[in-house]
Amino acid sequence: MIKFVLRRFLELLLALFLIATATFFLTAAAPGDPLLSRTLALPEASRDAMYAKYGLDKPVLERYVITMKGMLHGDFGESVVYQGQTLQTILRDKLPVSARLGLQQLIFGVLVGLLLGVIAAVKRETWIDRCIVVFAVLMMSVPELVLGLIFQKYFAGTLKLLPVIGWPTGKDLWFGGWKYTILPTLSGGLLYIATYSRLLKTSILDVLDQDYILTARSKGLSEPRIVWSHIMRNSMIPIVTRLPVTLAMCLTGSFMIEKIFAIPGIAAYFVEAVSANDLSIVLGETVFLAALFITVIFLTDILYTIVDPRIRIQGGKR
Amino acid sequence: MAQAKNTAEALRPEDFVILRERSAPSDLLVREPVGYWKDAWRRLRRNKVAMTSLVVLGLFLIMIIIGPYLRGYDYITAAPQYKNADMSAQFWLGADALGRDLFSRLWVGTRVSFVIAIVCTAVQVVVGCLYGSVMAYFGGIVDEIMMRILEVITAIPSLLITILIMIALGNSAFSLLVALCIASWCPTARVVRGQIMQLRESEYVMAAEAMGERPMRIILRHLLPNIMGILILDVATSIPGYIFQEAGLSFIGLGLQTPAISLGLLISNGQAVMNSHVNQLIFPAAVLCIMVLAFNLLGDGLRNALDPKFRK
Repeated sequence: MIKFVLRRFLELLLALFLIATATFFLTAAAPGDPLLSRTLALPEASRDAMYAKYGLDKPVLERYVITMKGMLHGDFGESVVYQGQTLQTILRDKLPVSARLGLQQLIFGVLVGLLLGVIAAVKRETWIDRCIVVFAVLMMSVPELVLGLIFQKYFAGTLKLLPVIGWPTGKDLWFGGWKYTILPTLSGGLLYIATYSRLLKTSILDVLDQDYILTARSKGLSEPRIVWSHIMRNSMIPIVTRLPVTLAMCLTGSFMIEKIFAIPGIAAYFVEAVSANDLSIVLGETVFLAALFITVIFLTDILYTIVDPRIRIQGGKR
Repeated sequence: MAQAKNTAEALRPEDFVILRERSAPSDLLVREPVGYWKDAWRRLRRNKVAMTSLVVLGLFLIMIIIGPYLRGYDYITAAPQYKNADMSAQFWLGADALGRDLFSRLWVGTRVSFVIAIVCTAVQVVVGCLYGSVMAYFGGIVDEIMMRILEVITAIPSLLITILIMIALGNSAFSLLVALCIASWCPTARVVRGQIMQLRESEYVMAAEAMGERPMRIILRHLLPNIMGILILDVATSIPGYIFQEAGLSFIGLGLQTPAISLGLLISNGQAVMNSHVNQLIFPAAVLCIMVLAFNLLGDGLRNALDPKFRK
């Protein structure tokens, strides 16, 4: 067990190092000069000073060593495009926005999805089940991009029920300005409804076939007892496996939704930084998002081997 | 051994007498053997939803090939006099902001998105198969090292890699292909590895090894054909993902860029004018959704037909 945790942890560090290195060289190799537009009108001497300030006058390998050293102290460097901004200030401003959007999508989508999954499994082979299945397949086939645009056009544009774009800021950051959040939450959350309802339904039907359910019945256990402590407990395992990854994806923001509804989150900012060739911010955000993602997967893996002894024997089958 | 040899010499063909010939009519009672593929095809054909999806995809394929030429318009050069034309007999689906026929552009865009999805899926399956089967066939230290590499790659969020590669290589169809393929083969490799681990101990692999076949030949001729069902399923379920990703990346401006034409770009152009000319958004979006829906339904049908677990 300790060997397993240690191995996974070393892999985590290696993955992070590789990501940082790859990101650095990919952005360094990218065409375009991030300082070009800001320094075009400046005299020669101040232009050189600008390049020296961001360390862009040095050769690539030297910059790489400096960057990696800085990264160990959590210093990713100042934004090349926006003066005075660092990764920390950007995360402080943007992360709560993306996190609220993601959490709302997750809570709405997963709760409704699980509910529909249970209903579909209980009422299987009836019209209710068929409706839910059809709805789930439809939702999986409409990308959130199209869903977002259509909601925006009809609910906000034609019917004027809700604001077209925008996001609550300031004191409304976490609780308030709900009307701005409804459409983005819906357009992203429907996909979770589809995936989770399908997942839970298959899982419940799988469990129903198992011998231990038959054993429980023949022992004469009461029906609610069978449903809650045998069927539900076992069929939740695949759901719990999936949740942490979904959570990590949610926190890191949704590229399309943030773009469509002009939400000032980190995903939208990442795209902006990429387009503006803002080297230090692209590097910082990539490493931050990857670290978040990898850590969540790492913790999940360890949690599993503790919670479900069967996985330990099967060798981490997911 | 010596005893067996003696026995073999002691027994001569003349010692054997045919007691009773098998009666011919009993052969007629045996049903014609139904192989895995025949059975799967029979199940798929009985599935109305899957067959409808197959027909829809066939129609799409025809339109991808002939669609752009049906109306005979130039879909590349701007024609300002037809700017944002509405739907009419002249322009079936209207014209875009630069006066180009949307019907022709729609099918060109679908073609581009479709080809990207197909090529990426092909790369994913080929690389995934080779990697996975080498891993499973050789096992031991090879498996261990290749598995660690795989784990590191899967740990990186794929969208980030895709975006980074797009920055480094610039916006073109080729860099989009590289960016989409670079990490996508990992899940396939995992599945193939699991499957081949099970088949590794089969008698026919042992027989092939005993006959001195080279490992690569055993993998290609004996092992991979036996997991073909799972690979076909992988293909059908991967294509929609690529269509989505292309559309999404092109929409946020990190995929293809004009003057290229793809479903993502058409949707992105449609968004710009969606308040006044909704037809420019609706049609590309509808084609995207119907195509993905058909692939999803076909995938479900194939799963029921090919995966023994779902056979009831």
